[in-house]
Amino acid sequence: MTPLRHLRRLRRGRLPLPIVATLITAALVVWQPRSEVLGQSAVGRITGTVKLTLANSAPSSASAYERRSVGPRPKPLSELKNVVIFFSDLPATKPAPMQASIAQKDEQFAPHLVAVTAGSSVAFPNEDPFFHNVFSLSRGAAFNLGRYPSGSSRSKTFNRAGIIKVFCEIHSHMSAVIRVFDHGWFTVPNEDGTYTVDGVPPGDHTLVAWHERIGERRDRVTIRSGAAAQMNFTLPVLEPEQ
Amino acid sequence: MSAPRLVTRALVTSFLTVALVLGAVFAVLSLRVRDQVRQSVADNLASAQQVFTRVESRRQQDMRASVAILAENPTLKAALDTWLTERNGANAEASSELLATVQREADKIAGHVAADVLAVVDGSHRVVASGGRLASAWPRGTIMGGIADDVSPTEGAVSVGSGMYHVVSVPLQLGDATVGSLELGTALDSRYARELAELSRGDAAILSRGAVLASTVSGPAARDLAELHEWDTSAARTVTLAGESWAIQPLSQLGDVSFIALASIDRAAGGQTQAALRGLAWVGLGAISLAVIGSVWLARTLTNPIDRLSRSLTAMTTHARARDAVPLSGTSRELDQLTTTFNSLLASLASAEAEAEATYLGAVRALAAALDARDPYTAGHSERVSILVVAMGEELELDSETKETLRLGALLHDIGKIGVPDEVLRKSGALSAAEFEAIKTHPSAGARILRSIPFLAPHIPMVELHHERPDGLGYPYGLRGDEIPLAARIVHVADAFDAMTSARAYRTGRMPVEAIAELRRCVGSDFDGRSVEALIAALPRLVAADAPVDPMAFQWAPRARSA
Repeated sequence: MTPLRHLRRLRRGRLPLPIVATLITAALVVWQPRSEVLGQSAVGRITGTVKLTLANSAPSSASAYERRSVGPRPKPLSELKNVVIFFSDLPATKPAPMQASIAQKDEQFAPHLVAVTAGSSVAFPNEDPFFHNVFSLSRGAAFNLGRYPSGSSRSKTFNRAGIIKVFCEIHSHMSAVIRVFDHGWFTVPNEDGTYTVDGVPPGDHTLVAWHERIGERRDRVTIRSGAAAQMNFTLPVLEPEQ
Repeated sequence: MSAPRLVTRALVTSFLTVALVLGAVFAVLSLRVRDQVRQSVADNLASAQQVFTRVESRRQQDMRASVAILAENPTLKAALDTWLTERNGANAEASSELLATVQREADKIAGHVAADVLAVVDGSHRVVASGGRLASAWPRGTIMGGIADDVSPTEGAVSVGSGMYHVVSVPLQLGDATVGSLELGTALDSRYARELAELSRGDAAILSRGAVLASTVSGPAARDLAELHEWDTSAARTVTLAGESWAIQPLSQLGDVSFIALASIDRAAGGQTQAALRGLAWVGLGAISLAVIGSVWLARTLTNPIDRLSRSLTAMTTHARARDAVPLSGTSRELDQLTTTFNSLLASLASAEAEAEATYLGAVRALAAALDARDPYTAGHSERVSILVVAMGEELELDSETKETLRLGALLHDIGKIGVPDEVLRKSGALSAAEFEAIKTHPSAGARILRSIPFLAPHIPMVELHHERPDGLGYPYGLRGDEIPLAARIVHVADAFDAMTSARAYRTGRMPVEAIAELRRCVGSDFDGRSVEALIAALPRLVAADAPVDPMAFQWAPRARSA
């Protein structure tokens, strides 16, 4: 979309075709999201904070069983680490594959959420002293890694963008979520809620803050070359349904 | 209308007494039965309440436990969570495949729990999938009313669609997050009311804010139950429905919903009373037959002696004379005393009667003697005739009573001559026709005199008819043969014999042999044959007996002849 829009803008200027062709080529070279480009300030940056006003629904006291745990309960990660900030309307690129890992520890997937580029593989090391299983029912990415013992690890490569929810068929309360993007403009906020996405092509874009249960908040943001835009999100956006 | 017999009176009295006692016993019994039934019905309901509480809490606990285990279903959770996430996703449509998986898992769980409906509900109380008998009542998208302020946050009465449900909720958790819940609904409908009724062994009703959700009570009682607004469902009580008394026992409370057990006291009491009545009927039958037997026996021992007494009295009054003494019955002192008194009364009466008769007799004798004394020729005539007729009666083998009648009748047979003037009576010459007519009036006159004395009634025929003849030529009526009473015929013969053998102023007495010959000659015309023969047979005995009689009185006797 973005190159076409530029093309249109160029056409409005009624420039001669050779110049146009040259400009297009130059633009394509310039907007290639590479690290050296960021240094030349040909791209912008978006920063901001994410605030959660409503925690995820309170855990019910009426659970059938006390949650089992081998060892002291680890301090849960901030819910902010379950939020992904990404641009929703940037063109698909071929981002470099990443290596991510979701450990299975204390009957929990840790971290609960990872965001990776398409083609990345995610490892699921079993760090509990018992068997675990990893499976998913998500569309287009249904898989089942089977059960495997303590200390071993299996991994899965995700080639298509989407939301993949991962579960353990042995421990039904375990879940994780993997967001796969076909571009590199996404991030997970820090513990304090701040986030930064570098190398964003200039222009008007839609920035999304997404949480698997709270939902998402979309906002338009204008990125200028060499400048840092600011966008603060306040979740939830979960509107009362009744 | 005569007074009832003693037996009847005794029977009626004893019957009424028994009936009264039985009635009182029945009244007391039915009151007691009713009281006991009321108590037992209340006790039944109270124990039913305990049973219900135990069974129901156990059931809910079991259900919750089994559902909690079933809720740990990784496939269900994974499918639901994935579906929810995809539904909330910006540009992704929720997969129908995932929904089918959720539905399948819901059906599977529903098959394992005893609930009318099982629903998988998302975080905003929307039904995602439902299974079970009443799944159609909870279609996808149905918003479930929250469980408001109930037994616990996970159990309560919830209104879904048009129905009310007892809902047990179990959260579906992923880590610390709750993605939804499993809701188990038990419909509070008539089916559930029937189950309650079975537990309480009576009737049951489910009420919400005074309205009846369901009940097993039918007919007019159900209408009254629905109209009974002021419900105090916290305590057992008694109410009136359709004119019947009902015991009500609260079973449990679930938010606004009350479960009550109720039973008709009247209906239960009816059966019990009937059973008691049957028993009482047997007792009553026995008591009545005993009373009948007893009263008949009592009446017999009382009435029989009284009957005898009264019969004696009746006989006494009809015959105007006392019979033999009534024997003592020995049944009771009072009766025996009465009998003794009655007997002594009879005895004194008899003696008084005898005395009266003796007095009369004396008077009559005096009268007869005075009559005889009017004419020295006829002196002792009546006494002699009297002796003759008694002797003739003996020859004719008459009973003593008849002989007694004969004796007195003979003594009085000429009493009517009182009315005949002396000059006619004492006339020595032949009587004129008029004088003879005057003489002929004496039988009728005598009868007239005697009629005024009741106890001389049997003697009147001898006085009145002692001049009648078998050939019908006698006076005053001219009766013939057997029309003349035997006593009168006897007296006629004796009178004639004495008259013939007696001297008169105008002639001497004939010899008895002549007189007998004369009598025999006139048998059939003037005299009765049997009487004449009796006289002839009796004469020798009278002479030989040397009876203490006045020699002067019997001039016809041989001895008198010689004197």
